[in-house]
Amino acid sequence: MTKKKSIQAAVAGGAAGLINGFFGGGGGMLLVPLLSRWLDLGDRKAFATSVAVILPLCALSSAIYLLRGGLELSSALPYLLGGALGGILGGKLFKHMNMLWLRRGFALLILYAGVRTAFFV
Amino acid sequence: MAAFFAGLITGILSGFGVGGGTLLLIYMTTFAGIPQNLAQGINLVYFLPTAALALPAHIKNGFIERSVLLPAIFTGLLGTASAAWIATGLEVELLHRLFGGFLIYVGISELFRKPSIPQDDSSGTSDSPLK
Repeated sequence: MTKKKSIQAAVAGGAAGLINGFFGGGGGMLLVPLLSRWLDLGDRKAFATSVAVILPLCALSSAIYLLRGGLELSSALPYLLGGALGGILGGKLFKHMNMLWLRRGFALLILYAGVRTAFFV
Repeated sequence: MAAFFAGLITGILSGFGVGGGTLLLIYMTTFAGIPQNLAQGINLVYFLPTAALALPAHIKNGFIERSVLLPAIFTGLLGTASAAWIATGLEVELLHRLFGGFLIYVGISELFRKPSIPQDDSSGTSDSPLK
């Protein structure tokens, strides 16, 4: 990888880290478009690589939330179990998905929730 | 039980890398009535097994771009530590509204983003007409 690409990867990772720590998630939504745009990764590589980058970030930020945020692990348990099963399925199904429609459906859902969260609930 | 299924469905998306965590955050804060700061903490913990279990398939399929990992993770750790520190000291209501603003931004930019050319895509889905 060229020096320029390394720096771009570092900037993308840093930005994803900020979002990940601040909102407790969503880092991948920033990282995926940056990886595909700056580093010319195809969609599929950008998504999968993003999972690998975000995982260690979550390990660190969840430790901080545990220390400072009053987070109880017991309340996370049911989500954890479902998530673990979903993760396995997601990994296996991934190569069969149509990424374009997946992203569009996702974008609409996010937009709806964003308006609700910012202005209503 | 509802929490389990919410985790399951968003977990599939998280495994893809599509933002399952974001959806789970929305579920927890909007539908399950969990305060923003707690939901964020749960979400981070939730991603650990979810991502760890999705990764082997991605590695096997050759979808991980290894050269990106070191620089991105290094700065990512710095970023996430400082942001997590700030967020955990913030007013919950403010955090919630900021999260809403973030969602609007992401939704709009995703909706209007042009699909990239899938150089690594060999599975025959139609990401791009150029292929």
